Amino acid sequence: MARLRVKFKKSSLIRYISHLDLMRLFQRALRRANVPVEYSQGYNPKPKFSFATALALGTTSDGEYMDIELIEKIKPEDFIENMNNVLPEGIKILRAYYTEEIKSLMAIIEWSSYLIELKLLNEVEKENILDFLNDFLDKDELLILKKKKKKGKFVTKEINIRKKINKIELMLLEDNKLILKTLLKTGSSGNLKPEDLIKSFKKEGLDINDEEYKIHRLELFREKDGKREVL
Amino acid sequence: MISQETLDKVLMNVEKPARYIGHEQNIYIKNKSNMKATFAFAFPDIYDVGMSHLGLHILYNLLNEQDDFYCERVFAPWVDMEKQMRDNNIPLYSLETKTPINEFDFVGFTLQYEMSYTNILNMLDLSNIPLESSNREEGDPFIIAGGPCAYNPEPLADIIDFFVIGEAEETILKVMNEYIKSKEEGVSRKAFLESIVNIPGIYIPSFYKITYNEDNTIREMIPLKDNYPRKIKKVIQEDLDETYFPNKMIVPYIETVHDRVILEIFRGCIRGCRFCQAGMIYRPVRERSVNHLLSLAKQLIKATGHEEISISSLSTSDYSQLETLVTSLIDEYKDQKIGLSLPSLRLDSFSLDMIKEIQKIRKTGLTFAPEAGSQRLRDVINKGINEEDLVKAVRDAFNMGWSTVKLYFMIGLPTETEKDLYGIKDLGYKVKEEFFSLPKEKMKGSLKITISASCFVPKAFTPFQWHPQNTIEEFRKKQEYLKDIIKDRKITYNTHDAKVSFLEAVFARGDRRVSKVLIEAFKNGAKFDGWRDQFKYDVWMKAFKKENVDPRFYANRERNYEEVLPWDFINIGVTKQFLIKENEKAKEGKLTPNCAVSCSGCGITRDFKGGIC
Repeated sequence: MARLRVKFKKSSLIRYISHLDLMRLFQRALRRANVPVEYSQGYNPKPKFSFATALALGTTSDGEYMDIELIEKIKPEDFIENMNNVLPEGIKILRAYYTEEIKSLMAIIEWSSYLIELKLLNEVEKENILDFLNDFLDKDELLILKKKKKKGKFVTKEINIRKKINKIELMLLEDNKLILKTLLKTGSSGNLKPEDLIKSFKKEGLDINDEEYKIHRLELFREKDGKREVL
Repeated sequence: MISQETLDKVLMNVEKPARYIGHEQNIYIKNKSNMKATFAFAFPDIYDVGMSHLGLHILYNLLNEQDDFYCERVFAPWVDMEKQMRDNNIPLYSLETKTPINEFDFVGFTLQYEMSYTNILNMLDLSNIPLESSNREEGDPFIIAGGPCAYNPEPLADIIDFFVIGEAEETILKVMNEYIKSKEEGVSRKAFLESIVNIPGIYIPSFYKITYNEDNTIREMIPLKDNYPRKIKKVIQEDLDETYFPNKMIVPYIETVHDRVILEIFRGCIRGCRFCQAGMIYRPVRERSVNHLLSLAKQLIKATGHEEISISSLSTSDYSQLETLVTSLIDEYKDQKIGLSLPSLRLDSFSLDMIKEIQKIRKTGLTFAPEAGSQRLRDVINKGINEEDLVKAVRDAFNMGWSTVKLYFMIGLPTETEKDLYGIKDLGYKVKEEFFSLPKEKMKGSLKITISASCFVPKAFTPFQWHPQNTIEEFRKKQEYLKDIIKDRKITYNTHDAKVSFLEAVFARGDRRVSKVLIEAFKNGAKFDGWRDQFKYDVWMKAFKKENVDPRFYANRERNYEEVLPWDFINIGVTKQFLIKENEKAKEGKLTPNCAVSCSGCGITRDFKGGIC
């Protein structure tokens, strides 16, 4: 038995498939590529693999991770080649290596970096954007409304997302197009979806279209001794 | 071509956007400028349903393996996507190259279910293609159709340019080749149709005129020219081992209704149930050999990576080599955890043993289809199973550890009385008793029995084609009666909407005068009529009224044997005399043995070869 850690990217049309669809896609690709994957027991055996975190429908990514349990070790470079031969365009295995780590990927990761492309409803000067971002990050409290399911009922709760935002950088401002780079809390120790950050931008007064935007995940990070590291 | 930017604007606003992106594993991407003819395979329901259909995978791969042809797919967009498309002026487009459908040479609809007819109109409308064939001009695609409902093509006569009656594998290639010739010669639409009118299986409705009697029945169907065939003979593939079958299938991203490799093991059926259209129109029985099937399975699993193989046929138990096939498939694929499903088994003890083996890999539920509640009525419909067999099969199944059972019935079958309805309840309760008479340690799980009773729809080319359907009111009374008497926490009773079945009956046996009702209903918002939450009965009733067509004339009227039926011009091989004989035997409750036991002289051997006949 061996645990293979795999990094892959999700681009182009593949962003329109859901997390569940992605799991099925990998199930079938693993079989097409003849990967000796472990199966779960029971009436509905499933190949054993798990993702670091779910990517929302519509989001592209250069930094997705999954762990795959294998019955026997195969060469990581063979795995990459065989899988990329059978995967649809838009999904590509970038790296694969064996790990001894027992903890699940979801418990390991802490931060996720994103590019967010927004549409401004009116033209805004660069300084004003920078001022907005400074003020935004200077606040101790950034409250958004979150719907949560509790005992089968939807409850709306106000939560403070400030601590889940590490940084926001302005990458590009061109006419009405605004591209930001941000680092957000991700994983089982706390999570902020970029969609919620966009909601907060709107609420705090950034004049954007909060329905049409593009999100691209760049990388996932873990934290060791207060320092961020790629997996 | 519809640009990606255009689609990006709308795809995030719809449920399951992956229905509309194409791009799946095993699709064909071809250079369109090198193509001599293009074909849009159109399925008049959503992607999830259409991708489960074997015919799509066969024709798609068959056409695309030809260098000169390009076949792309298109499905009915769900209502949310339709709204986005209409709001943003996006025409209906093919999934492979996002080409507007009206730029194709052919748009081929498969007719699996009468209640999908309005979706055909909606898809034509979204493609900016005239709804009626008479309004189409040079440059418009040819709208063609095939599939089981094409055996009574008349309700779509005003809409479809031509039909392919029967198994289309060879015919479609002949038509496409003829089209290339016509295109090179630059001939007109009409001239092209003239050139294919004598290809076996082709039916061109506009080449015929129908006259009617005073009582509204058909007097005569008159070919407009002497060389147009008076009878259209269905086409079949004589030898399935020589018939094209794809060695790969497109792998959907989203979960479809049947998301698995499909192995078609035979066509036709030896049983001869009297309500069943498939059992008549697909005769004679023709099998694929085990070796061929095993080789196909291997290629298909390699190409798709699917976790399940489904065996497809009518009455699967009648396959002569079933045990060999199933054992070989289990042996070959159990290590890869690939499951097997046999959706159409007669549940005798042999089948149960086999299912037991299959369950070791993946678990499935059990379905029995007694169809009718009493032995008398089961004999009327020639469903050759008796109650003891059924109860024994259920007992065996419970003994083996099952606890979930589905029972399928029909209400409104010819000669049905209250006694027969009571039999439905009775059978359900007997099944329940079997479970609780097991020794305690054998009772596994919690018992769940589902009784589904659909409303009988008389179909063309069956011994019951002359029968009136029950009225909606009659169905409703019967449904209420069953609801009143089936009162048990372990038994769930499901019904079908009688209004939908009523409309289905109109279009199953309609003539070409109902075409205009379809168009009128569509214009007033009818679509996805098979979907409970979309069905608009009032719209339909208004459309019948406006077009002055009485739906009861088609659904609820008893025909006599002399009447010219709208589909009489089609030769399915099985003779009208045989159907009459079967209908008479039904009235007496007499059984007809299946074709493996003895030949009942259905007539198929006169015009068709193949299989056991």
